Amino acid sequence: MAGALDGIKVLEVTQIIAGPMCGVFLSDMGADVIKVESAAGDGMRLLGQFAPGESKGFHVFNRGKRGMVLDLQSDGGRAVLHRMIAEMDVFLINARPGVPERLGVDYETLRAINPSLIYLENTAYGPSGPSAHRAGADIIAQAYSGLMAGDEKFDEHGGPDLITATTPADFAAAFTSAIAVCAALFHRERTGEGQKIDTSLLGAALTLQNAFSARLPASDAILLDPMLAGLAAVRERGGTYRELIGARGGIRALVGGAFLLYYGGYQTADGAIMLGCVTPANRNQVREALGVTTDDDPTDAGDFNPLADGAQEVVAKAREVISERFASDTTENWIARLDAAGAPASQVNIPEEMIDDPQVQSLDIFVDLEHRLTGPETMIGAAYQMSATPTAAQGASPPLDGDTDAVLTEYGYSAEEIASLRASGAIGVPASD
Amino acid sequence: MPGPLDGVKVLELTQIIAGPYCGVALADLGADVIKLEAPGGEGARRIGQFAPGESKAFHALNRGKRGAVINLLTADGRAALHRLMPHFDVFITNVRPGVAERIGVDFETLRAHRSDLIYLDVTGFGDRGPSAGRAGSDVVVQAYSGLLAADQKVSPDGSPEHITATAPADYVAALGGAMGVCAALYHRSLTGEGQRLSTTLLGAGLALQTPWASSVPVSDSVLVTPLRETMNALRESGATYAEMIQARRDRPSQGTAFRLYYGGYPVQDGAIILGALTPQNRDQIRAALGITDDPTDRDDFNAIGPDADATTSRLEAQIRTTLMSGTMAEWMERLDAAGAPASPINWPEDIADDPQVQAMGLMPEIEHSLTGPERLVGALVEMSATPTGSDRAAPPLDADTDAILREHGFADDEIAELRASGAIGSRDSS
Repeated sequence: MAGALDGIKVLEVTQIIAGPMCGVFLSDMGADVIKVESAAGDGMRLLGQFAPGESKGFHVFNRGKRGMVLDLQSDGGRAVLHRMIAEMDVFLINARPGVPERLGVDYETLRAINPSLIYLENTAYGPSGPSAHRAGADIIAQAYSGLMAGDEKFDEHGGPDLITATTPADFAAAFTSAIAVCAALFHRERTGEGQKIDTSLLGAALTLQNAFSARLPASDAILLDPMLAGLAAVRERGGTYRELIGARGGIRALVGGAFLLYYGGYQTADGAIMLGCVTPANRNQVREALGVTTDDDPTDAGDFNPLADGAQEVVAKAREVISERFASDTTENWIARLDAAGAPASQVNIPEEMIDDPQVQSLDIFVDLEHRLTGPETMIGAAYQMSATPTAAQGASPPLDGDTDAVLTEYGYSAEEIASLRASGAIGVPASD
Repeated sequence: MPGPLDGVKVLELTQIIAGPYCGVALADLGADVIKLEAPGGEGARRIGQFAPGESKAFHALNRGKRGAVINLLTADGRAALHRLMPHFDVFITNVRPGVAERIGVDFETLRAHRSDLIYLDVTGFGDRGPSAGRAGSDVVVQAYSGLLAADQKVSPDGSPEHITATAPADYVAALGGAMGVCAALYHRSLTGEGQRLSTTLLGAGLALQTPWASSVPVSDSVLVTPLRETMNALRESGATYAEMIQARRDRPSQGTAFRLYYGGYPVQDGAIILGALTPQNRDQIRAALGITDDPTDRDDFNAIGPDADATTSRLEAQIRTTLMSGTMAEWMERLDAAGAPASPINWPEDIADDPQVQAMGLMPEIEHSLTGPERLVGALVEMSATPTGSDRAAPPLDADTDAILREHGFADDEIAELRASGAIGSRDSS
């Protein structure tokens, strides 16, 4: 069975994560994705390089694609892209605003060649507004959007520390871009019409925190406005970042400290455990497994008011009881008891060890690939499965300039034309490098 | 102009974030999304409740939909749902494995009523493997997938702390699910074939950290294999969680110099975040800060050499002192002028008023019929031919049940009878 996007041709001029990962998603669904790089290569090739021009990050964010090198600053290189775009369904780019125009790969130029093209542009702040032309990166979107403050994480100097687990804005932008491309393909199938799609890291980051950043006056009067007043007061007196975060009160202000008793982490006799209760039923399962009584923790009793005086002390006392129980036995034993009770809980795993996890292995989340230059590797495949059009990794990432000649041959270039383009520097990496 | 999914009809039986947000994404693309709830209402209605059954989270995660209450624990309720199914293109659910079968909304049952149905289920751990039946929620999967350890956040008492900025596994499962539904609609438009899509929070958690969890042996032998050996040794020696995380923080990395210009620094009135990815970006920042003696971008600098740590520590102190001499506004002006990627630290609760957010129209104002005006994060993307977004707020419980049933061929007396029997309608109404 072929993938859902079988037969769809995608050309991408992308870098780092947001653009490239969108290409991976489309490739996993069967699209034929060609990555165009300059002779210097995508900057990601140099971040954590373990062989010349090859980094783990590049391999992860560009698997399943073929690669070619075009000098889009030369007329010859641009002409190659324009000739190929006539046969493409989708074009992806993530560069600073203005760069596509300068390279002759902006929407108007490419649409003139291929009117039904689906053109996706991802930028940091979006195509308009006061910050449109500013430089961006995931960490910038984390800071600008509020995500970083929302993570309430400090470095050893008390300053803000970034979310290190992932690059959330980049990934969310890659997903939203792929959603829009698929929706646009559906629309084109019904109407024949192509279009331009704009996504931004800022918009993607906001999507991830919409419950925090939303304004809802009827609710905010109770929960948010006092927090904003507290923040303003700390700012007024020149308080530190740590004091500002303290005044924010974060998720506690939104859902109350009682919720976090069973939605958060504890130490056990030999490590740590996370609880993930979102309903009273879940919390009762945990209380039962721990032997916590209504006396120990009255927070789910009908008459408990989380906003009343003294409520914080009640929550703190309950936390103490729960902490003591967890500290009295091992993670494995607690997980066994909590699983038996049906409660949501997990040990805290280390990302580098997930590849050996039995659950991960039974879901076939990882895929074994062979890279032409650096040999075998095991990567995370598609995040979901489709019964009629299976998702499948199409291969490893391309070495720089790996498929330029083969792709051009496929698109009707003769061997002489290819040789002459290569000699002129319009395609390929100059031999002197 | 209508959205790209104009005319597509979606029915969702969802809760909390992963399922509901997938529905929002489809509604923003023009689909007609109906949220099905049990008589008591979905759980998120009561997390941070500010009016009976209404919470900010529920509003943000269910805007753009109409709402219906059907009691699927009754035979009549199930029959009503099965009668609706032929009209729907897409069904989304994120209940625990086994629940869908019990209440008659599993793929095989629903497909019998609509042969080209696109069916999406989101579960915590998937439908097979030793953890298949386990309860999952975002924070559980943060812990299980390694995301939480990778965030390296430890509470003052040494317990693991989760990522609080967002629910990463939930949102990514929602986005991945919406992507799959759109691709499946495209496939169906070509072939007429429907299908079942499955996504898991576990897969979503891993998808977010591909470089950490992936294995490239040639690269890993230098950096990852020693880390794994350290972790094993610590575990055997009975180390605490905080000690394990500290060891992961301290692991040898080629990225120490990189982090000089990719991270946060306090300034006089807050903090500035630098986001340099390329040597050019770093040159721009060095120019704005007046740093002239940084060798870390020279060809002969060895990032894992013996002197690397001392060099980066010296530079870090220099950058820290320099930035502390100015305010956020002063530094942003200089860094922007140099074209360097940088940002002041903003607050999630303030961002609705940000001029860039307003200029982009990222947070449109909508009106909720019970609780009044609200400004929520809007559509994910802008599309030139098929505009996105929806001006409909989240539905009050049971708000559209009768209208939806009528629209799909139920007579008024049938509706009244179903309501009287408790097969439809909220607890209050029956």
